[in-house]
Amino acid sequence: MKSYKTKRAIGNIIGYIILILISIIWLFPFVGLVLQSFRSYATEYGGMVDYLVPKQFSLDNYKFLFDTSQNNYLLWYKNTIVIAVFVSIFQTIIQLCVSYALSRMRFAGRTFLMRFWLILGMFPGFLTMICLYFLLKQFGLTQAGAIPGLILVTVASCGMGYYVCKGYFDTIPKALDEAAMIDGATRARIFFTMIIPMSKPIIIYTALVAFMAPWCDYVFASYVAFGHDTSYNVAVGMTRWVWTNDYQGYFTRFCAGGVLVAIPVTLLFMFLQKYYVEGVTGGAVKG
Amino acid sequence: MAKGANNKKKNAASLFFEAIGNGFKEIGVTFAEGDIKTKLSFLIFGLGPILRGQILIGVALLLCEVLFFYFMAGFGWQYLSKFSTLGTVATKKVGRKTVYGDNSFLILLFGVLCIFAIIAFIAIWYINVKENRKEELLLKAGKKLPSNKDVFMSLFDKNFHKTLLALPVTGIFVFTVLPIVFMILVAFTNYDKNHQSPSNLFTWVGLDNFKNLVSFSGAGIGPTFLQVLLWTLVWALFATFTNYFLGLAVAMLINKKGIKFKKLWRTILVLTIAVPQFVSLLYVMKMFANDGLINGYLIKWGIIKSYIPFWTDPMLARITIIVVNIWIGIPYMMLIATGLLMNIPEDLYESARIDGANPWQMFRSITLPYMLFVTGPFLLTQFTGNLNNFNVIYLLTQGKPQSVNLAEKAGNTDLLITWLYKMTVNDTNYRMAAVIGIMVFVVTAVISLVVYNMLPSVKDEEGFQ
Amino acid sequence: MKKKLVSVLMTAAMGATLLAGCGSAQEAAQTAQDTAETVAETATEAAEVVEEAAEAAEEITDYGTGDIKIWVADNVVDFTNEQIKAFQDAHPEFSGYTFTVEAVGEGDAAGNMITDVEAGADIYAFAQDQIARLVTAGALEVVEDSNAEAVKAENDAGAVGAATVGGTLYAYPITSDNGYFLYYDKSVVTDPSTLEGIIADCEAAGKNFYFEINSGWYQTAFFFGAGAELTYDTDDSGNFTKCNSTYASDAGVVALKKIAEVASSKAFQNGSAISNATNVGAIVDGTWDAQAAKDLFGDNYACAKLPTFEGADGKTYQMSGFGGFKLLGVKPQEDDLKLAVCDALAAFLSSEEVQLARYNAVGWGPSNLNAQKSDAVQADEALSALADQLQYTIPQGQYPGDYWSLATSLGDSIISGEIKADASDDDFMKALTDFQTTCESYAK
Repeated sequence: MKSYKTKRAIGNIIGYIILILISIIWLFPFVGLVLQSFRSYATEYGGMVDYLVPKQFSLDNYKFLFDTSQNNYLLWYKNTIVIAVFVSIFQTIIQLCVSYALSRMRFAGRTFLMRFWLILGMFPGFLTMICLYFLLKQFGLTQAGAIPGLILVTVASCGMGYYVCKGYFDTIPKALDEAAMIDGATRARIFFTMIIPMSKPIIIYTALVAFMAPWCDYVFASYVAFGHDTSYNVAVGMTRWVWTNDYQGYFTRFCAGGVLVAIPVTLLFMFLQKYYVEGVTGGAVKG
Repeated sequence: MAKGANNKKKNAASLFFEAIGNGFKEIGVTFAEGDIKTKLSFLIFGLGPILRGQILIGVALLLCEVLFFYFMAGFGWQYLSKFSTLGTVATKKVGRKTVYGDNSFLILLFGVLCIFAIIAFIAIWYINVKENRKEELLLKAGKKLPSNKDVFMSLFDKNFHKTLLALPVTGIFVFTVLPIVFMILVAFTNYDKNHQSPSNLFTWVGLDNFKNLVSFSGAGIGPTFLQVLLWTLVWALFATFTNYFLGLAVAMLINKKGIKFKKLWRTILVLTIAVPQFVSLLYVMKMFANDGLINGYLIKWGIIKSYIPFWTDPMLARITIIVVNIWIGIPYMMLIATGLLMNIPEDLYESARIDGANPWQMFRSITLPYMLFVTGPFLLTQFTGNLNNFNVIYLLTQGKPQSVNLAEKAGNTDLLITWLYKMTVNDTNYRMAAVIGIMVFVVTAVISLVVYNMLPSVKDEEGFQ
Repeated sequence: MKKKLVSVLMTAAMGATLLAGCGSAQEAAQTAQDTAETVAETATEAAEVVEEAAEAAEEITDYGTGDIKIWVADNVVDFTNEQIKAFQDAHPEFSGYTFTVEAVGEGDAAGNMITDVEAGADIYAFAQDQIARLVTAGALEVVEDSNAEAVKAENDAGAVGAATVGGTLYAYPITSDNGYFLYYDKSVVTDPSTLEGIIADCEAAGKNFYFEINSGWYQTAFFFGAGAELTYDTDDSGNFTKCNSTYASDAGVVALKKIAEVASSKAFQNGSAISNATNVGAIVDGTWDAQAAKDLFGDNYACAKLPTFEGADGKTYQMSGFGGFKLLGVKPQEDDLKLAVCDALAAFLSSEEVQLARYNAVGWGPSNLNAQKSDAVQADEALSALADQLQYTIPQGQYPGDYWSLATSLGDSIISGEIKADASDDDFMKALTDFQTTCESYAK
């Protein structure tokens, strides 16, 4: 009995050591990012260095970001929030609609539609960038109008990502619908008064995923908004600081900007983590 | 197996033709047996329903027809008429001012749109004919037609799916289907940097671009394509399975009895999902640079003499990418596994323990089979997702290092998808990008189809329950 | 011939607005006409335009209205805005136009212009290596005749060459400082005159030596230095007609071998941007990084022309390279009047005063001959190091876009060890023969 206990204790100690090691590896880049963001570009040096801890802590980088006369960071930030909020709202609505129709109703062309969308999903998205750009341009939704344009494109094609949500609806017993229909409720009524209130976790999951994606959208956003600084999102605006030579010594400012982007998204995610886990687990099992 | 599939196909084909035959028959019968209202409806959509009091349906049909002709006459025809050549009038200078000629791009794009409009028009015409037939039969049988209000209300009940799907389907059509068809067609043109709208025209070239792809001599990009494809597959395989097993291991470790602060460990790991990748990956890219933080400290501490070329050595770059991807990917798998591991009945383990099984045996005979069974489809989507994992590759290496042995600016760590992106954005080589895009589709589709049919959970739905 | 037309038409130019109206109506009619009469047409068209231009210069006061978009790098946006303000004050006749300046770097400008010419800027700054590509894509308008004469007379020959494709001037040079030389840390590098010495010093001090060998632009320092050649001929519409290359030669082998040797040093780092460099002992970079270099090196800041290197054949070679230029381009316009405004603004932004002001504001070395002679420019440390270096370099002509990426591939292959420093001469020769054949395949 005793040997079993010691064995278990040793096992636990090894477990802790591994977990602590993993935690260090996982946190190291983020700690680095935060530390670098406090290195002053004005008095120390704004480019890359090969040491971790700044010689002097300062808020210069953050001051720079908030100085609207020097750059549009706050505007990019606002743009990203606008995109994220609208995409989140509309994408949730559309995916709920699609999922309900596909999960609950049987109609001609249903399987065809599902198969067709599955096949469409296998085409790489970037393929169509140039075409989408010129389509949006016809509506005046590029450059100056890039933000509504980006929202439109994301929302327009989000119907195909119904899988997780439909999987959730499939688990709600159909008997409930049938009982309500016997009571004379219409499909629309069932959807609005019964299914939606029961779907809080999946609604939060869908909204959360939709909200997080635009923060990372560099590729298409840069393609649609090019040459118009005021309609960039944070990703487009800030990657220039790392990738192009026009911005010498902007590395610490990039780090500071990155920290400011990461904080709200991370907090939101941590706060709603429970729903996220529920969503991805359900999605993984349903496939 | 093959024979069976063949039979199925034949059946499907014959069913399809039968359906078409029936369709035509129905149209004929409708015309022959129909009254004057129906006959006129063949030309003027919705006339029959309107005259029979079905205003809502009738007007909707008529509106479609009017819209179609308005669209074609006012907008579509000028493009559709040039579709076969993609334009012939070249841009020229009148003095110093530029007068643009035909815009091949718009001709192709709107030409495709027109063709879709025509197909939709025919479909609506068919619906129109069927609607007339239905109404006539109902009236002949002495039944009452549904009132306009009923028709409208059915959109919230029996036909609620039409209401729900109208917007998503339209959106997907305009912003997904149309662009994809357009780009597939681009693969058959010479649209590239030398034939760029609006200053230059481009035109159809048949299969030339595909020939270039499989050409292994001289300037052909065949060998490069094969190498990039191979690395894409290897990457997807490693990325998927390293994450899967390591994520599973971490989840089991945290789930282990006696480990405290479970929530804390999970929260730390999950940070990589929460922080936007363009921030975290760009920082990690700089960290591993030849002159970056890691090399700097390793040299300072005297562990290595000269820097480790994490990103500049092709093989090392590939390995580093896979390792960094573990950092990004493990937490995701960990979350999923944590939930699923709880579902495995504890008594399975209990009885195994009584039988004297050690933890490894228990893992191999209980945990792993269960997990693989349940997450089969998930693994497949992860795999196809990794085939197209743009962010990790592009933010870390942008496909570099390049090599003299690779054509078309491909790099040693380029996936098909990043290669395609670079062709589009840096080189405006749209024709080859379109060909590569089609290839990505083919690879994804083939793998999905083959693996999907092999999945145990698909073969045997009830298996584990 | 055109000059003659001008004088003939100048006398005939009366009733300006009336004629202008007539002119455009006539043009429209001509556009519809068959192209068989091109010769005759071209003559009349040219006549009309010259006429209009003449009118514009003297009589037209109504230029209509419009928006003009300008793309320049982020750090000169404020400067450009100020200059445009001055331009507007000096030209009240352009008051109908609004000018917007956007921050689009010289590197991105060309790519964005080519993606969608229509949505691109009307006037934009770009690095000269993009010019042929822009001309082919129809994103550059030919420089107006009178401006062209001025540009050719006032700027250095290299800058004019860089802005010329075939025999036609397509852009306005604004800087002549796109060359590279050596920045170094005085406390690390004792003698900047030989490459071997610099590398040895850096190795001894545990510092890094930066040279971007995977760039077609920096690489040439070795190749041209050893005596190999690579130039292209172009026609007027930006197509490459001929490649003159002697890379596959003994000189090429000497150069490539040296590159591989440099890359194998533990002090070597690939790169040319100070802000991305760490632990720097010496770096080959351009004037645009002068301020960053001063910040980085502090009191130990120093710069010099590129060093000499000793080839495998025992001879000593002076490193060469490209002298490059930044250019200002005007997009083709569908409206003559707007084009006239764009021409005027581009000419203004590339004029002597503005180039000098730009030097004072951001330190960009002018391409204008008079501006180059000014005291401030002459006294600039980095610019004089560049001037020392420029005598060994060749002005950068036109190169196809594919060349740059091919050169990157060559450099990457060396860094990654696919081409090793201790490979045999035959291996080097083979790599260079492949390289040269591919280079030649870009010209048709």
